[in-house]
Order: sequence, then C-alpha cells, then structure tokens
Amino acid sequence: MNAFAYVTAQTPESAAELAHDDGCFLAGGMDLLGEMKESLLKPKTLVNVKHLPGTTEVQIDGAKCLIGANVTLAALAAHPDLRRLVPGLAEAAAEVGSPQIRNLATVGGNLAQHSRCWYYRHRDVQCRKKGGTACFARQGESKFHSLFTGCMCLSPLVSNLAIALAALDARVIVQRGRKTETLTLAQLYATAWTTPAAHNSLKPGDLILRIELAAAPGARSAYLQLSEKSDFDWALVSCAAAAKVDDATLTGVRIVLGAVAPIPWQVDEANAFLEGKRLTDETARRAAELLLREARPSGDNAYKLPIARALVRRTLMKLVA
Amino acid sequence: MPWPKETKYLGKSTPRVEGPAKVSGRAKYTTDVAPAGVLFGVILRSAWPAARIKSINLDKARIAPGIKAAILAHDGEFVVHYYGEELAALAGTSRNAVLDALQLIEVDTEPQPFVVKELDAIKPDAPRVFAEKPNLGEVPTKDTGSIDDAFAQAAAVVENTFSTAIAIHHPMEPHSYAVAFEGDEMTAWASTQGIFSVRDGFARSLGLPQNKVRVICEHMGGGFGAKSSLGAEGRLCASLAQAAGAPVKLALTRFEQALAVGNRPSSFQKLKLAADADGKLTAFQMEGFGTPGFVASAPTAAGGSGVTLPMPYIYKPAATRVKQSGVAINAGASCAMRAPAHPPASFGMESILDQLAAKLGMDPLEIRLKNDPSEIRRREYEIGAEKFGWKQKYRKPGSGPGPVKVGVGCAGAAWMSGGRGTQAEAQIFADGTVEVRVGTQDLGTGSRTVVQVVAAEMLGIDPALITARVGDTRFPPSGTSGGSTTTASVSPAIYDLCENVVAELKKISGLEDPRSANWKQACAKVGPSPLAVTGRWHDGLSTGGACGVQFAEVEVDTETGFVKLRKILAVQDCGTVVNKLTCESQINGGVIMGIGYALYEQRVMDRRSGVVLNPNFETYKLPGIADIPDIEILLLDMPERGVIGVGEPCTIAAASAIANAVANALGVRVTSLPITPDKVLAALGQLPDTGVATALARDLDAAFAQVASAPASTLSPETVA
Repeated sequence: MNAFAYVTAQTPESAAELAHDDGCFLAGGMDLLGEMKESLLKPKTLVNVKHLPGTTEVQIDGAKCLIGANVTLAALAAHPDLRRLVPGLAEAAAEVGSPQIRNLATVGGNLAQHSRCWYYRHRDVQCRKKGGTACFARQGESKFHSLFTGCMCLSPLVSNLAIALAALDARVIVQRGRKTETLTLAQLYATAWTTPAAHNSLKPGDLILRIELAAAPGARSAYLQLSEKSDFDWALVSCAAAAKVDDATLTGVRIVLGAVAPIPWQVDEANAFLEGKRLTDETARRAAELLLREARPSGDNAYKLPIARALVRRTLMKLVA
Repeated sequence: MPWPKETKYLGKSTPRVEGPAKVSGRAKYTTDVAPAGVLFGVILRSAWPAARIKSINLDKARIAPGIKAAILAHDGEFVVHYYGEELAALAGTSRNAVLDALQLIEVDTEPQPFVVKELDAIKPDAPRVFAEKPNLGEVPTKDTGSIDDAFAQAAAVVENTFSTAIAIHHPMEPHSYAVAFEGDEMTAWASTQGIFSVRDGFARSLGLPQNKVRVICEHMGGGFGAKSSLGAEGRLCASLAQAAGAPVKLALTRFEQALAVGNRPSSFQKLKLAADADGKLTAFQMEGFGTPGFVASAPTAAGGSGVTLPMPYIYKPAATRVKQSGVAINAGASCAMRAPAHPPASFGMESILDQLAAKLGMDPLEIRLKNDPSEIRRREYEIGAEKFGWKQKYRKPGSGPGPVKVGVGCAGAAWMSGGRGTQAEAQIFADGTVEVRVGTQDLGTGSRTVVQVVAAEMLGIDPALITARVGDTRFPPSGTSGGSTTTASVSPAIYDLCENVVAELKKISGLEDPRSANWKQACAKVGPSPLAVTGRWHDGLSTGGACGVQFAEVEVDTETGFVKLRKILAVQDCGTVVNKLTCESQINGGVIMGIGYALYEQRVMDRRSGVVLNPNFETYKLPGIADIPDIEILLLDMPERGVIGVGEPCTIAAASAIANAVANALGVRVTSLPITPDKVLAALGQLPDTGVATALARDLDAAFAQVASAPASTLSPETVA
C-alpha cells in the first residue's frame, strides 16, 4: 500500500474538492481498502465521508424514500419501512457478503463497487480494465463474466443494489463539483458499457450522496440471486423486478438482470411485453427470452442463460405471490 | 488387544484441554511468538510462470528504511518453473517496511514458454516444464487376469470419463515460522505437522548439528499434509535470521498459500467396469493422469507415481488393467493432502460402480454389499442404511418429481492408518499430579487430550491431574502427524508409560495396586524428587485398515443447477475410540472437507498469464456454515482392533456419496468435481452448444490415447492396503 493523506470532509462540496485530484472516498472501506492493499488503487488522499450531513439516515415521507449513501447494508436490510415498501431492495442488501461486511458496507460503496473480475483483481495481470491491451477473460476463464457488453471488457456489474434500484427506477444523487446531479441507474453505469477501464459513470471527485425512490401504492418489488454457495458469495446471476400488481396483472413493470453485463441489464421490450399482462409461466418465459435475446455467451458462461431464465420467472412469480 | 472394554474415559467424550485457551485467544500460535527484537520476513516470488533468472539486484532494497537483511533464494542464474516460486527474501523492522522494499528489488529475467493446463501440457508439442524430460511422466501399469475375455463375457459393461480439480489445503493458519539464534543454538517456532522433520530439515539445510536445533509447535491451525516438513519459507526465514543477526518471523499470506505450499493433484480418469449377471464385478480398466504441478525432485517430469490412484480402489475384480501417469505443468508442486490419492480414486470408482448398478437395475447398496471385500464396511453399510432410511429414500435415478429433485448416494473408503515409534516420559509428583511429555504435535486434532484420556484411564485418575506437554523437540520423539498415525502412535506409548508408572509406584509405595483410589496414597511416597518414567510405542495396541462408509441426501434444482445438501451420515470404524468428542470432531471436519471437494473447491489457472486466478477465499470457494447439512456420525467402537487413526479415512467417501446422490437425483451424472451449477446444467443438456464441450472431449480422448499407448513403466502403481 502506498502512503496517502487522510482528511475528513465536513460538506459534500469540500469532499468532492478534496478527492478531485487523485483522491478516493472512504466510507465503509470494504472495496477500497482491498484495492489499495493489492495496489490496484494508489490514491494520494483518502477523504473520509462517513459523517457527511444527510448521508447516514433513511427518511420515509409517505411513499418517498431517501436513503443516505452512508446507510449500511445491514441497516438497509433490516429497515422495517423499506422492507415493507421496497422488499426487493432490502432482499438485495441482505444478500451482500457476510454479516460483518454488511455491518460496514454502505449503500454508496455498494453502488460504486469495482469489478470483481479475477483478472482485474490479480496483482500481476494487466488487463483492459487496468489500462492493458487485452481482456484476458475473452480467451481465458470467463465463468463469472458478462453475457452482454458494449466494449472489450467482459467484467460484469456485481452491485446487488444497482440491480434492485434499477428495477425500482430509483435516482442517484451525486455531488459533482459544486453541484448535485440526479442520475438514473442506467446513467450511473452507462460509461462502463462503452469504456473498458470504467466501473461506472462517476468521474474523479463525484460522490454519491443519496438514493431517492418512490414506492407507488400497490407497487411490489422482489430480488433473487443464485450463487455457488448458500451464503457469502457473489451472484452468478441476480434478478430484480418491480411492478404494480393487480390480481396478477402487472403494470409499470421493470425487470433487471445482474452479473450478466457491466450495467444493470434491462431490455425495454421485455418490460413492454409484460405491461398489462397477467403473469403466467409462459409470459414470464417470454420476458426472459426478450431479456436474453442479445446474449453472447462463451463456453464458460453459457450456463448463466438457464439460470437467468429461471430467476426471471421466479422473481416475477415472487412479485405476484 | 489389551485395551479395557469397561472404561471410564477411553471412548467417552472429554472436551479438548486446550479449548478454552484457543477460544479466548490465550493460545499462542507461531506468529504470536515475539522474541525481543523480532523482524518481519517476506518473500519475493516469481511473477513469471517460467523464466531464466539472470540476476537479482537487492542493493536498493537492502538500504531501504527498516531493512535488516536481504538474501537470495538461489545463487547465480537459475530457472523458475511456476508463478510464485521463491526468488529472494527480506527481513525488516515492520511488515510495511519489507513490503515497500520488495518493490525495490530488480529482477533480470528471460521469460520462457510455459503451460499450466493438464490437457495442454500432455500434447506432444507443448512447451516443456523441464527441458530434459517430457511433460508426461512414466506410466506405471497394473495388469492382472484376462481383461479382454472378461469384458467380452460380462453381462454388463459401463464406461465413462471422470475428472477432479486441484484442491488447495488452505489450513486456517498459514505456513508460519519464527526463528531465533542464541550463540550456536537455534530455536524455531513452526506451524508444523512434524517438529522432528522440521528440526532435521533445518539442521541439514543450514549445516547445523541436530542437537543445536530446537523446534517448538505449541498450537497450530491445521496442515492437512502441507506442513509435514520444512518448506522453502522456513529455510528462508532461518537464513534471514542468520543474515540479520536477529530473530525473524515469517508467515505466508493467503495469496502465497495458493501458489507454493502444495495442493491435491487433479485427476482425469477413463474407466470401464464390468459385472456378471449377479452384479459381481469381473473386469476393470483405466487410463488416467493428473498433474502434480512442478515437482523438482521426482524421477520423471510428472513426479513419479505420486499422482497415480490406487485403482480399482476398494474393489477386487479378477481382471484389471490400469495405466496411469502424471503430467507436469508450470504450477506449484502438489503434496500429500488428507488421504492423498484416495478421494479422487473413490470418486471415480464409486461413480462408475453406481453407473453399473443402474445398468443392471440394481440398488447401489446391493451392488456394494455384493462386491465390497471388507466385512467391516459391509456391516457399516447395513447399520448406515438402517439409520439413514435408505430403503425408504432410494428411488430409481431421475425418477423424483418436480424441478427440485432429491437423490441419495453412498460410498465406501479404506485407509491404512497405523501407529509407529513414539516415546513418552512422565514425572509423577508427590501431590498426585502427573506431567507427561511426548514429542508429538497437536495438528488441531487434540493430541494433548488423547494423552490425558489414555493416562487417566490407565492410572484410574481424574484427567485434571494430568498435564500433557507436546510440540517440543526436547521431548521424547514421535513421528510426523501424517497418514492418520498420531493417535495410534501416541496412545500405545502412553499405555506403556502408564504400565511402567504403575510398576514403579508399586515398588515405591508397597501397594498392590497404586491406581485409582490408592493413587494419592501411592504418590505421597514419591518424595521431593519426582518419579520419572518412560514408555514407548509397541505393537499390539494399534493397527491399520480403517473402514468407513458415508450416505448423502441432496436436492438439486434442475433449473439453476444448484445442489443443496440435506444430510450426510458417516459410519466410521477407527478401532478403539480414544476420545469420542474429538474423534467426531475430526469426522465432522473430514466430511466438510469432502463437501468442499464435492461441490466448491477448484484451483483455476490462467492459460495466458500462467497465474492462479483464485488465490483467495472469494473465488476459491470453501464451504461455509450455511452449506453444511446435518452430519450424523456413527462410530463402530471396536477395542479388539486397537487404536486406528481417523483423520483421513473420514474425508474420502464424502464427495463420492454426494456425487452419487446428485446422479441419483438427476438421472444423469456430473462426471467432474466440483459439481458446480454450470456442470449440472451442462449434464442436463440445458446449455447452448458453444463448441467448448466438443473441443474438451477431443483433447481428453487424445490425452487418454497417449497414456494408453505409452510403454509400461517400472514404477509400481499405488495399491490400497
């Protein structure tokens, strides 16, 4: 690990300012410290943002939820109002890591989670994501990699919250310089689709402050993932869905797949197909096919297709259950 | 055997004596040792899978802040054969100081071609791991009976190809040493399974007299075969201490554990098995290979017969033809790992046997009862089947309803175990307390408690009166804790010791029987100088040939490929049970390790960079608590057999039973361990054709053909005792 300066920011503006020149934000530190120990990141400055005002609480105002970036995943998973209003989000948070990790990991950190690709994470492999010339996964071991990508990097997005929040059509409030900007989840990750070196669309100094979402009356949400282990494991595939459910008929549907692309994987046709339909095995199956139509599996990760199909169906069924 | 049948402690449950120290953090492990002025050691490892190392410049590192010693792993030019091989080492005043200084070492190299996958390495045109030897080693061959006739006359013949992944030992405590010199005396604290083998290793490699080297291992966090002797990291730690003129401690990181301190070889097995109409096995044929990685000291590139399997494992078809070998790759060397060669042998054999049973329309239990030559195992199958409810649970393969299918499977195992030379000494004090010293070590299995239990039983006294001291080469010698020999080596020595104690106390006290109720009175005669007595292992109190069977019940989600374990039942014989609690604890651990082998663990190498891709617990997946089902253990306590070690036999059959249960659930077989969701879905035919499976099958065929056509070697194949 390299030497670095450590400062505690008092306001979002000063945090953004302090981190702008080769700095990193320190909240839970779950991902950051690992990357620093492996020399994947060598920040000049660590900006402690743990106590920034307005980032540590969950505020519920009717159907409107504000979730501060410093809320821990454990708190999110256990929050009674969130569990009631947006169960899909609480379920996604509960599946992250282990209890110890969830006690420290934050909402902002999970959204900004960097690639877990084993080539990216290896100290002696210089892959595309680290500025090298090759994606090793393309000709190598791609078992955990993407079925979809718009660039040369095959590493998928593995943030559970990103998938659940995309289904909930949440907004991410980001401090950018002296201003705040409001991004959709699609916008938060769009750059990773086109740029191998990007994990998300955040620029140096951009700081996630909070999440905003509205749980409409009658809206339901659900999240499921499948991992190799029963607990404390990354999703091979994850799936989140949200919709208004009226007697098994869905409206305002959003279904999203995770760990299959560098972005939360959404296909408008799949959502449109489900709109106003009564959910059956067959409609769920068709929706899964629409979501997976453009998949480009390798020999190693083709197994994600049947898992994704099963999860789409099961998540939708959970929604109407 | 003379072990008592009516017992107070032997075969009962005594909590391990060091338990409170371990759970409270008081127990001192190697890295807890901090001699005054201790420095931190660290190793520079090869970032190249194969390269000629022309020179290593330590100058900048040597003068870096806090650095007290910088040494080379080899003098002059040399060749490295795997990513992670030792190049140099540093000692300094803090861990950060040595890590920073590592970056300053300059290595001048000429990278060379390398190969890290078995199926690539076995190709005739593959880069050679050793310039002077082909990657495919000699091919030990076993040929008995008229194999071709036997297959021709069989009522049923089945064939299949199986494979098992490389597993890494990954003990909770990494390989660790601390070394201090005082004058011409050296003391080493080592996390080791063999304090005497490490002592002799130090004496040899450093040119020190054996009587000037002391090795201590108070507590250790597991070894599983990877800590049987002095490793390169221990030698470098001692050399750093010499160079620095100060004590040095060196503990490997989890990353290093995945590269350079051993693993279980992979296996690829092409099997063919035949039976007559009654289900009696008549013929077995195998071509097989695996990789031991890079093994420098072996007679052939592939490490001699170290990777070959004892086939056809526990069964005895009259006609067998077995040809197998190893193939070298540019990766860290394998070494003994808990029941070396047995889990993969069991997996292949028990899998093909179930396949044969299915073809004959037989119940898997029935075919085992018909063919297993061990009376003990047949008894275990009967006891286990009753307890497990086999008759109620067993269904024809794949016949269960619903997308989540339930299946059951069973498998048997053998292990030689056995005891060997161990000496012990005791001091008996006038207050009735006893100190027993024996130069064994506690691998984590509770050897102190074994000493206590045996002595308490033999002397008829409260175990609390006995303090057992182990883990110091100043104590009377015992062997390396390997091959499941510790309890069977130590217990007889303590038995003998106690007989001698009783004889001496009789003389001193004049009491006919100084044990039990008379103990205090007898000891009161000892006087101010304690009674010192010795004892030694002798034949007649321990034996070998542990037998065990396991049953597994699983559910498999046919839509996602996810396997969930419902239940494992282990029926295990280990002769005389010494301490039931720690014995069952070992079996729990063995079953869990087998679960890892069955469902999760595999080292993944990258063809292009030559690195281990999963040198961590994130993607080298170990079973966690949520993955462990109800494990039920039935011990056959057979005092008439004497003490038999249980550490290894209990891990062998778990993966085979689980694999058979998965096959029973699905009606198709996953032929490759670990059984991960991708392989289940592939076996169910749910994957689009990407051409990968075809290419793999082609490579496998070519590889087996090479083994089949290779000339037979003079090396002898493995056999099961």
